[in-house]
Amino acid sequence: MANFFPRWANLMPLKIAVCLGAVGAGVVAGITYYATPKAQRVGYQPTQPIHYDHNLHANQLGMDCRYCHSFVEHSGHANVPTANTCWNCHSSIKKGSPKLAGLRAAMAVDENHAPLQDADGNAVEGKPIKWVRVHKSPDYVYFNHSAHLNRGISCQSCHGDVHKMEKVYQAESHSMGWCLDCHRNPEEHVRPLEEVYNLDYDPAEYLEENDVRDLDNNRITEPEEFGKFLVAHWGIQPKESCATCHR
Amino acid sequence: MSKRVWNPPVAPHESDSVTAWRSVGEKEGSLNFRNLLEREFPAGDTLTEEEQNVSRRNFTKLMGASTALAGLGLAACRRPESYIVPYKKAPEWIIPGKPLFYASAHPQVGGAVPLVVTTYEGRPTKIETNTDHPDGNGTNAFTQASVLDLYSPTRSQKVIKGGQVATKGELKDALAALDLSKTALVFGEDDSPTRNRLAKQFAEKGATLISYEPLSPKSHKRGTTQVIDFAGADRILSLDCDFLGNDTVGNGCEFSRRRQGGNENYDQEGDVDPEKMNRLYQVETQFSLTGGMADHRLRVAPSRVAMVAAEIARSFGIAVGNPPDEEEKAALFPGGSADLFDQWIGACAADLTVAGSGALVVAGSRQTKEVHDLAAAINAKLGAAAVKTVKTDLGQYGSLADLSAKLEGGDVENVILMTPADPVFDADGFAEVFGKAQTTIHWGLRNNATAWACDWHVPAAHYLESWGDARSKRGVYTLIQPMILPLYGGVSELEFLHVLGGGEFAKGDFSPAMGEVKTTFGELTGKSDSETWGEALREGFVADTSYESAETPSVDLVNAQLPAAPSPTALELVFSTDASVYDGRYIENAWLQEAPDPITKLTWDNAAQVSPQTAKDLGLYDKIIKLETKTAEEAHIGEGENARAPMITIEVGNRKLTVPVLIAFGHADNALTLPVGYGQAADDDRAGVNKLDPDAAVVGHVGVNTGFNTYLLRSAETPYFATGVKVSETGETYKVALTQEHHSMYGRALAREISTDDVSGKGDYKAQLEKVKKQGIDSHVPPNISLYDPKGGIWSKSDMAKKTHLSDEVHQWGMAIDLNTCTGCNACLIACQAENNIPVVGKDQVAMGREMHWIRMDRYFASQEYEYSGGHKVKDKEGNKIANPDWVTQNPESIPQPVSCVQCEMAPCETVCPVNATVHTEDGINSMAYNRCIGTRYCANNCPYKARRFNFFDYNKRNPLIKGNLYKGPFGEKQVGEAPHLQRNPNVSVRMRGVMEKCTYCVQRLESAKIKQKQQHKQKVARAGLHSAKVEIDPKKDLRVPTDSIQVACQSACPNGGISFGNLLDEDSQVVRAKGNELDSIKILKGDNYKKIEGSKRNYDLLNYVNTRPRTSYLARVKNPNSKMPDAKFLGQATINIH
Repeated sequence: MANFFPRWANLMPLKIAVCLGAVGAGVVAGITYYATPKAQRVGYQPTQPIHYDHNLHANQLGMDCRYCHSFVEHSGHANVPTANTCWNCHSSIKKGSPKLAGLRAAMAVDENHAPLQDADGNAVEGKPIKWVRVHKSPDYVYFNHSAHLNRGISCQSCHGDVHKMEKVYQAESHSMGWCLDCHRNPEEHVRPLEEVYNLDYDPAEYLEENDVRDLDNNRITEPEEFGKFLVAHWGIQPKESCATCHR
Repeated sequence: MSKRVWNPPVAPHESDSVTAWRSVGEKEGSLNFRNLLEREFPAGDTLTEEEQNVSRRNFTKLMGASTALAGLGLAACRRPESYIVPYKKAPEWIIPGKPLFYASAHPQVGGAVPLVVTTYEGRPTKIETNTDHPDGNGTNAFTQASVLDLYSPTRSQKVIKGGQVATKGELKDALAALDLSKTALVFGEDDSPTRNRLAKQFAEKGATLISYEPLSPKSHKRGTTQVIDFAGADRILSLDCDFLGNDTVGNGCEFSRRRQGGNENYDQEGDVDPEKMNRLYQVETQFSLTGGMADHRLRVAPSRVAMVAAEIARSFGIAVGNPPDEEEKAALFPGGSADLFDQWIGACAADLTVAGSGALVVAGSRQTKEVHDLAAAINAKLGAAAVKTVKTDLGQYGSLADLSAKLEGGDVENVILMTPADPVFDADGFAEVFGKAQTTIHWGLRNNATAWACDWHVPAAHYLESWGDARSKRGVYTLIQPMILPLYGGVSELEFLHVLGGGEFAKGDFSPAMGEVKTTFGELTGKSDSETWGEALREGFVADTSYESAETPSVDLVNAQLPAAPSPTALELVFSTDASVYDGRYIENAWLQEAPDPITKLTWDNAAQVSPQTAKDLGLYDKIIKLETKTAEEAHIGEGENARAPMITIEVGNRKLTVPVLIAFGHADNALTLPVGYGQAADDDRAGVNKLDPDAAVVGHVGVNTGFNTYLLRSAETPYFATGVKVSETGETYKVALTQEHHSMYGRALAREISTDDVSGKGDYKAQLEKVKKQGIDSHVPPNISLYDPKGGIWSKSDMAKKTHLSDEVHQWGMAIDLNTCTGCNACLIACQAENNIPVVGKDQVAMGREMHWIRMDRYFASQEYEYSGGHKVKDKEGNKIANPDWVTQNPESIPQPVSCVQCEMAPCETVCPVNATVHTEDGINSMAYNRCIGTRYCANNCPYKARRFNFFDYNKRNPLIKGNLYKGPFGEKQVGEAPHLQRNPNVSVRMRGVMEKCTYCVQRLESAKIKQKQQHKQKVARAGLHSAKVEIDPKKDLRVPTDSIQVACQSACPNGGISFGNLLDEDSQVVRAKGNELDSIKILKGDNYKKIEGSKRNYDLLNYVNTRPRTSYLARVKNPNSKMPDAKFLGQATINIH
């Protein structure tokens, strides 16, 4: 009987093995990169019911984060403002603007800010605004905003430059590894309490303007040194045990 | 160094003075119980038939198919959009994510329980005690569980007229049409000043006022009530009064405080001082919580309580006729003589005499008028200062018998029932009389039998939805305020009365009930300004208010006629309050139903209880033993889904009922106990229980098919006791879910007890106190060696000895549980369930040992079976042990011990977890990362305390109360989004199937307290007025949570202050005073500031010899026997050794 397999078939098993190996490696590499929060979550930028512009309000108008997210220092949740918070200003500013239609619906008023009525002349109840959640941590994560803000971690460390976002997107991965990176090296993020809500904070600039001295009374000039000093001076010991966030 | 091998003891040691057991199976040494001891989960680890059907092969097939399908529809890759919906208009005070607390109260017979209610965004989720209130001492299990009732989907939701839904407007018209002079109003037995005020207005118009609850008789009240001040009672004789349990006569917490002999804060030199300690003599039929705490307990049939009372009275020179003969006396001490009875009475009376005004005799509310009169006469003779007679409006109201008479006579034509009881179900013969009424209106939380029997039914608002007021135990005026608008459109009691008086229903901001309360408040305080009102609402009560005191009514003694002594052919019967459903009103509360009865450990059912001797006389004992033993001819075994109890038929006169029976240790002979309230409806054809009518359902998934209606045996003549009861076997058995053998621990000296008396061979009180830490195996094990003990062991010479080895030098948590005050009442168990989102699993799953309670309330019995002296059992000439007489062995002590995870420093569970799901936190908690757990159950297998619970099913998502639902997988009925889910604590994960869970010291409370403390950083900067970088923060000073400011759920619920919890590094905390601070780590940490605190000598670690170094320790119980009593030398030795 003649040779059943041609000669070139001799290398076939090797080729198949190499190919499979390459495909396998590709799949592993693909999953390692794409199936992580870093690839899946960063950049998530949903469309909101009202086109609220953080750049306009927080950056150009200079409003403090806490005007709207008012309980962020007191509660675990950073609350989203109630409709009447917006109405404090918008009852007189941009009256009748089509961009504020959603807000007027929530406040149950028409374009001239007269209360809405149904066919029988009864007052209509407004419907709350359904904001789309951008940053979502899983149910079993009990992240607490106040614990971080009151100890010198800024909004910016986790949410990026929100004050420059016209439409909010997720800037950081918020994966557990990412949390632990900071819990292990808090000095990279700690800043003076006065600067927590200042999203334009620059440590180098800050040290130039302020005379901060270490325990030996030497002036601190390097941002890295400053972070380490604050961590030691304030007794910051971020926890790494599970129960810190999972209960 | 030789290798240390330490095996736990497997055989009883000769030096054990008492024999301890939990169940009949254990006492009789069935093989089966040994298996249970050595197993991780009872029966639960073997698969049932249904579970076996899902074979590995099937499972793989299904999984493969579903994975393939999931792969096809890649649409699931995108994250689903979720929303944040803020309020339109921010409500006052609400901060999203933060709890808001309101003061309120739970109205109850015997005094409302003052509360602080935790709400999240308007949802009440947890109930705590109002510690500022004079009567704010913990809560009971009913109060803890009442928050679940609020959300119960089977609560009444519609106004019903003749079976059809009606409107409130129609109801108002019907109420206006009532002729008040021909109307009777039936209230509950709880006291509410505003209700009394409104009721008085109706009485002026001719209405008849009645108060009724099936378990609180009115006959001996005469318009006054006794409030007992246990703080002043040194010697207490309780005649069938369960004052620490369901028979509230005063603040039971004061009893517990006196129990600590001046050491309630653990700061007294010499620990519990016997001189300051009280002493309790309990005369009762079945074990009650109070009986478990008693120093001397006499078990007597119900009719014999009067005999004991009369004998005591006689010894005080009070003329009482009909002295018992020798035979009757001897019958109370089986195996002994009448002299023992005389000795008991003599010693008890002498002790009461010595105490003088510090003596107290209390009679149980179900006891006869004679017993109450005798108690009053003795108290008068002794000048008992603890008894305070007060005037109550409620005492003036008529009884149900009065109502029946007036209905028969035609004086009353309309009846408005507002009592929380269910008279058509629980009052014998009332249904017939009730038929004579023209218009009947029922106002209540449930559509119970009475609701369906009435012309009208009005849904009630839960007390957490209502405005109201109440009197607490000592009569302090207490306010009830709503946390939430009525979920199901209920009408509050005062609102209903307001409408009855011609007012309007609540609408929008108008709340008539609040208006009525404000009027009463104005009359009471003389002030009606909003500031005083606001302050009272915030505090929850008006200070310095109490009941009006009254003259103690004089007693005219009648000669107590003693019925013939009971015998096995003519038993006596007691109807008892059920620890789970009370009188039946809590039948729809799944938490209470699943909480094991404190004594019998029965869940989801009621059963008759008889003593072992009576069971033997009736020929039942051997039968039960057979059911308990694996090798018995009957294939049933005493565990798992096959657990069975034999059925007996009870005959009282011409009434008959078939119920299951359980052996109850410490029960009086020739008597039966029947808890009431169960068996309201069933769909499984059980005898004596009404068939569930789907169109007029009286119960939902929770209450259906639970227990038997024992009210059927109860007649107006025999409301609490019946005599001449006959019992016959039926040969049938009934499935029972008993938890007493589940998660059984073994080891020596688990629960420890000492005596203030010099009991045989154990030395005097001081010597016993010194030896608490050395009881059991701890007396002869070498000291534990710790790698982390810096000064001991191999580190002693290295630098390591200078380090504290603490990962967190600010907080280290610890707990101490005092067995001296623990009654085993289940309040902690339910509080834990409410706080930690613990699911209910249903009767079938409980039977398989899958209950999820994080706190296991162990209840041991112990008695001296053999004569014992000088540290060893006495032997006769042949070398045999000498058995003690029956009156000693049949009257065991009961000792409860709550066990949850003890947070071992060297936790055996942690080392075996393959995925690090259970690891230590820096502050010493053995934490659980539920999302990481893969359910290998290795940890539970390795836990010597058996404190871990496994979610065999998704109990939270799939309703376990629907038959077979858990086994239907994805096709089963889901319960997500149903009302009870609103109760969930938002700070605790809701666990799913396949996850292990256990106590974590309420870590959510600890973390939130620590986070709150971190706000001090900002405040310190503000106070300093400096730049934040210039202000130093010292964690040990600035970030340490203030001393004892955190209360964990079980601790706060405990009505007896039995649990201490706090920071072990804080010398001022109570837990340090209880446990001491002699750890080397603390010495090094404190350096020169170290202040030694010895801690209580009664403090010991559970299973110390396995060297797990638990953070929860226990404090031994102290018994204070009277050395002149016949049973004195057998008491105070109930140290529990389970081999």
